[in-house]
Amino acid sequence: MDDKGKELLELLGVSKTFHVRAGGRRARLSAVDAVSLSVRQGRTLGIVGESGCGKSTLARVIVGLHLTDDGEMIFDGKQVLTHRRRSTDEFKQMQMVFQDPSSALNPRATISESIGFPLQVQGASKAAIDERVATVMSDVGLPASYASRYPHQLSGGQRQRVNIARALALQPKLVVLDEAVSALDKSIQAQVLNLLTDLQEEYGLTYVFISHDLNVVRYISDDVAVMYLGQVVERGSAQELYDNPKHPYTQLLLSSVPTLDPTESTRDEPIDDSSTKDSEIPSPIDPPSGCRFRTRCPFAMDICAELAPAQIHLGEGRSVACHLYSESEVQAVPA
Amino acid sequence: MTQVPVLLDKNFGAGTTAADRAEADRRRDEWNAARTSEQSRSFWSATFRRFLSNRVGVVAAVIVLLLVLGAIFAPWITSADPLLGKPTERLQNLGASGHLLGTDEQGRDMLARVLYGGRLSLLAGFVPTLGAALIGTTIGVTAGILRGVVGTALMRTMDMLYAFPAILLAIAVGASLGPGLTNTIIAVTIVFIPPVARVAESATRRVVVQEFVEAARLSGAGRLRVARSQVLPNVLNDVIVYASSLVGVAMIIAASLSFLGLGSAPPAPEWGYMLNSLRGMVSVAPLVAIVPGFFIFLTSVAFNLASDALREAMDSRL
Repeated sequence: MDDKGKELLELLGVSKTFHVRAGGRRARLSAVDAVSLSVRQGRTLGIVGESGCGKSTLARVIVGLHLTDDGEMIFDGKQVLTHRRRSTDEFKQMQMVFQDPSSALNPRATISESIGFPLQVQGASKAAIDERVATVMSDVGLPASYASRYPHQLSGGQRQRVNIARALALQPKLVVLDEAVSALDKSIQAQVLNLLTDLQEEYGLTYVFISHDLNVVRYISDDVAVMYLGQVVERGSAQELYDNPKHPYTQLLLSSVPTLDPTESTRDEPIDDSSTKDSEIPSPIDPPSGCRFRTRCPFAMDICAELAPAQIHLGEGRSVACHLYSESEVQAVPA
Repeated sequence: MTQVPVLLDKNFGAGTTAADRAEADRRRDEWNAARTSEQSRSFWSATFRRFLSNRVGVVAAVIVLLLVLGAIFAPWITSADPLLGKPTERLQNLGASGHLLGTDEQGRDMLARVLYGGRLSLLAGFVPTLGAALIGTTIGVTAGILRGVVGTALMRTMDMLYAFPAILLAIAVGASLGPGLTNTIIAVTIVFIPPVARVAESATRRVVVQEFVEAARLSGAGRLRVARSQVLPNVLNDVIVYASSLVGVAMIIAASLSFLGLGSAPPAPEWGYMLNSLRGMVSVAPLVAIVPGFFIFLTSVAFNLASDALREAMDSRL
């Protein structure tokens, strides 16, 4: 497929703010701030970050459940208007798998009704719906006898398969997976991840995989973007990012991943000196000035409080937003 | 890449290759086929089975059923005339010949009056409940989905009506509309709409934030479609349970309105009216005088117990 490798989805400067009530006052919560990303066809982009970094909001923005305040989105070469409600055709191209297998399924609908609903909305005939539901159920490994069952009769892993089946019902090109395996046991996670990679190969799907679990993201992603407080702080291929993290936040994240190998453990020499820095994520309602990470950064400088760092492109899809690096440095350092 | 460990578990030893998974699926299908008890069971049949296991609920439901059947088949149960009586036979006691429940102060057969009156009272119980359920659910679901100014306006209007004590509001509406069964039904419906709307609105708010509603929007469905197909079935649970407990209350309010002369006009054998007219005869024929009150009491308690049992049956983890 010579289509593989071309950019399927491009986000340019996408922003989303919510208006909330904080302590009696009305405030603006900056959930996603000028995010620029791209995903290549047939590949998986992993997005990692802590809770509250805006990953889920970004997922919903991509798929059209939230309208953006700013920014552009180009999908499959065509611009998608993100500040307005999507058209039915546009919805068909991008689907989402949700985190909680239980609340993502209507408890009063059978499995085949849940999976068939998107097709019903798009106006397919009953025969076409039944056929497609049967196909997609066998794709995800659910026996046909489950079609008339209710969600409460299925296990968590099976419910998540139903969610995946529903996302695939309309044959989308892009599937956004918002913490799709986080609510499952480790062994089931493995099965579902393998199912996802199989489906990707079979149907040439493009994934945006959002998770806070670094191991899972590493397992499934080709490229990774790291988010902090609504901004992308680093991007690159999974291999490079995990082997050679450049942004201090990425380094902090990777050092805190529990590992089975005692020689790799950094437990006894933590990177962040918690006596002088905040170890809590600041609130997105009132983010720190300049670089949002500076309150937790062990390398913070004066300029970090004054100026927000721009994305510095280090070549081959790698970029980092940090004052420690500059464009001129890039030329000096050998690739 | 780290090796992901494979555990044998209720996924039948499914491994990481497609062949392993196919084998696991085959094993799972076999297991499912062997477990005949785990058949696909619809929500209502499962609820029905649970309801049947609740003895109090079943007895209450049977009593309700008997009362309804008695009211419908009154002409076949007794040949006595509920509206015309022989004054020479007035105030006969229970069990008198030809009059199982005695006669009232005008000599009319009490059994006939109770059975025929049951039609009026049961109508006055069911119709307002049904009407309030339909209208109240519409208001509540609309307010819960739209929220904002519209939702607030709707719910605060409901609150204004809800602030009145039910019986006073019913009397006020009933008095302004005038006597008659239809006006009673309208009055009671109006009294019941606000509480049903409140139940529906709070259930809607709970359902609307669930992820399956977001997932439904992802298929391109408009808000109305999402409301009808995803939100409404989940809200109806709560509404049905609440509304079924209102039937008994409706009957009591209708009986109270009749008692005050605002309901069915005489000689219609509405139970509340009968209670009023026999009130003065308590010292003369006490057992006969309490007959209509007993039936009001019986119907109301039976409905309440049946609706409690229904709530339990519907509540089991779904």
